[in-house]
Amino acid sequence: MPRKLGILRFNMSKLTVAVIFGSRSTEHDISIVTAIASVIKPLELSGKYNVVPVYIDKQGKWYSDPLLSDINLYSSGNIEAFLSKLKPLAIRMDGKLELVLKRKKVITIDVAFPATHGTHGEDGELMGLLEMAGVAYVGCPMPAAALAMDKALAKTLAAAEGIPTSKFEWFYARDFAADQEAVLSKLADLKYPLFVKPVHLGSSIAISRVENSKALVQAIEVAAHYDDKVLVEEAVNNLIEVTVPIIGNHHPRAALVEQPLLKNSNLFDFETKYLSGGKKGKGGKSGAQGYSKLPADLPPKLYKQAEETALKVYKTLGCAGTARVDLLIDSQTNQVYFNEVNPLPGSLYAHNWRQAGVSNVGLVEELVDLALEREQESKKLTTAFSSNYLKQY
Amino acid sequence: MNFRPLSSLYSFRLPVALTYMLQSSEYQAKDYLRWLARTRDFSRVQHRRHLERTSKARLIEAFLYLGMGLELLIGIALIIYGIITPGASWSIEIGAAVAIAYPFVWAYLVVIPLELGRLLFVEPNQARAVSVAEDIFAKHSGTIIAVAGSYGKTSMKELLKTVLGSRKVVAATSANHNVAIEHAKLAGRLSGKEDILIIEYGEGAPGDVAAFAQNTHPDMAVITGLAPAHLNKYPSLEAAARDIMSLSGYLHDKGVFVNGDSEALKPYIKPAHTLYGHSGVGEWKVSQVKVSLQGTSFKLSNDKQELNLSSKLLGRHQIGPLSLSAILGVKFGLKVPDIESAIANTEPYEHRMQPYELDGAWIIDDTYNGNIDGIRAGTELLGELPAKRKIYVTPGLVDQGKETKAVHLQAGKLIAAAKPDIVVLMKNSATGSISEGLKEGGFKGELKLIDDPLDFYNHLDRLVAKGDLVLMQNDWTDNYA
Repeated sequence: MPRKLGILRFNMSKLTVAVIFGSRSTEHDISIVTAIASVIKPLELSGKYNVVPVYIDKQGKWYSDPLLSDINLYSSGNIEAFLSKLKPLAIRMDGKLELVLKRKKVITIDVAFPATHGTHGEDGELMGLLEMAGVAYVGCPMPAAALAMDKALAKTLAAAEGIPTSKFEWFYARDFAADQEAVLSKLADLKYPLFVKPVHLGSSIAISRVENSKALVQAIEVAAHYDDKVLVEEAVNNLIEVTVPIIGNHHPRAALVEQPLLKNSNLFDFETKYLSGGKKGKGGKSGAQGYSKLPADLPPKLYKQAEETALKVYKTLGCAGTARVDLLIDSQTNQVYFNEVNPLPGSLYAHNWRQAGVSNVGLVEELVDLALEREQESKKLTTAFSSNYLKQY
Repeated sequence: MNFRPLSSLYSFRLPVALTYMLQSSEYQAKDYLRWLARTRDFSRVQHRRHLERTSKARLIEAFLYLGMGLELLIGIALIIYGIITPGASWSIEIGAAVAIAYPFVWAYLVVIPLELGRLLFVEPNQARAVSVAEDIFAKHSGTIIAVAGSYGKTSMKELLKTVLGSRKVVAATSANHNVAIEHAKLAGRLSGKEDILIIEYGEGAPGDVAAFAQNTHPDMAVITGLAPAHLNKYPSLEAAARDIMSLSGYLHDKGVFVNGDSEALKPYIKPAHTLYGHSGVGEWKVSQVKVSLQGTSFKLSNDKQELNLSSKLLGRHQIGPLSLSAILGVKFGLKVPDIESAIANTEPYEHRMQPYELDGAWIIDDTYNGNIDGIRAGTELLGELPAKRKIYVTPGLVDQGKETKAVHLQAGKLIAAAKPDIVVLMKNSATGSISEGLKEGGFKGELKLIDDPLDFYNHLDRLVAKGDLVLMQNDWTDNYA
């Protein structure tokens, strides 16, 4: 049964933080868990903020109610019935970000905390909206988020800056549909095994590892089902996959280099990450999702190299707040390759930060501070310019 | 306008809330009535725990439902009578009053059958059982050790049981059960072949300890400490001290071991008493102390013998009780290796300086602690142990009577002296005094005030990181909230 609607209780001396989650994305459900478990609850526990949950449903409607921060509402399947009693909120950009709720109740937001994954959120769209509203927001700025969420662009930029990447090609799904042979010939120089990825999706959704051209075509069709742009890249031999969560604006620092365990699968896929609880990665130290070796089992020099590469990628893409950089290592040649950047890591990688000595509460507090720092800096920039241009008309 | 308190009063679940309040007050009318008087919103009384439906609880719940239902029906009947009967408007007013008053009437009325039951059945039965037990204790050939004090009784009793029980036949009162009927239950379990009996004495009211001594005939006594605790039942700390020290009087001050580390006990120490504490027991001296999260180790020696003791119990305040247990082991003829082995087997008891690891952080759970000496011991330990970040958590102490403000002020200073990075206080009536004490003690860290302790404890993992050390002391259950 739908619950009663909640009551917002605000302390005017505290900052009001809106945690925005859900959205039209294949990672909608993961976003709910990230928001509620790793963002909203720690923000509440910090005691420093008025926390406003803002839920974007799968149709793109925005809602806000205190009870939307209760995970049981979603896991019980009562969310639809609950939303039917709520009125979608309206957004007012009156020099600041305001949420207009039922009975014209207005909440002014001091800081927005995006907790969306994938499309229509993590990919820069939401950050663009927040930039327009002029509100401080947590995480990567819009250009960095858009770049990071386009694996092809991110790799192109990294390669241009001298950061090693595995050999890759990308193409539009429509081009593949129009002329399969032309696209396949473009891929002919790549050596199997290959990875086929939808360019914009996260959480390893629709990623395939292929050994021959027949499987390649099928994998491209799967990827093209989810995305309009497809990336095909060579697999790294003697692979060690590591991931490095990073926090900071101008002086970013890394948490621990973490080693997801692949074992029998060869692919760190959605199930391994979120559902199997580490079934595919037995023997590793338990992370938040129970699948990683933390810290990664690397020789000190290689560990340092991985950390430095990740930080270089972070800066090159213009990341701020937080992001997670995924790297591929050839354990024979000790070559570290950039793989991709996740501008809003699932659950903020709080399990990793906790082992690095930063609590989940400390993490969200620092992220809010970084957002405010970036907002202060952007206010110093001149955005208006007086000219005589219009006088000629 | 918040209508929840009013609606909770007329909620269908009011009898459940009232039964829970009685159960949490251990069916003590005074405690229940005090809680009842300060409760505004009955929908929130079951916050930390819920009603456990024992047969007694079911009976009370049914009694309340029936009583309240009947009164409501009578009220409605009177109203209807007033409406349909010309000239009987008085009936409407009386009916309305009867119907409105039912929650108040039955919330108070429920204690009458309880008190009658206590007077007519429970107390006479208990008196008979205690009388039979008194005879059993008087005739028992074993050595009877009484353990009394404001705090640390159960831990002391368990330590003695572990050490002496390693080579002797020992019987003891169970858990923290320490009133006359529990002593009688112990007597009922005895075979008569025990070498040693260890009996814990609680403090329920002035005169209790003296009565326990008369009933159980102790040969020896351990007085574990004195601090403001249970002061809802004693008029003052002096009154509590007099009651506890009456045990020494019973023994003519012979064979009485007194915790010399307890500041408040010092005025009551007599020359015949043997003191135990962090420096040793009598002529036995403590040296080479090492304290860590893994436990406490030290050497205990006199001119002739030496014991190397290592326990998993945490903190310097454990040295006294550990030493006394070891020395009593020597007195009862145990060999040194047996004593050392028994001490090595001692582990922290649940919620009493109990350490556990949480995602790389160390938590010391001392939520059972309820006195200022415990806070002193805990904060000393927090100050002594190395950690990347030190976090201290407390709601404050309960049952401190007139000492409440002074004790919490002192608690604040003790906490500040441990130099924690973060202090977490559960918002309640003690918060102001602790905060004041923190300020006076020069606390420089971050102070967090928490509205919902249960929520905080349930999400502790979000607040800690690897390298943190968290000390959680004291806890306020629903009946103190």
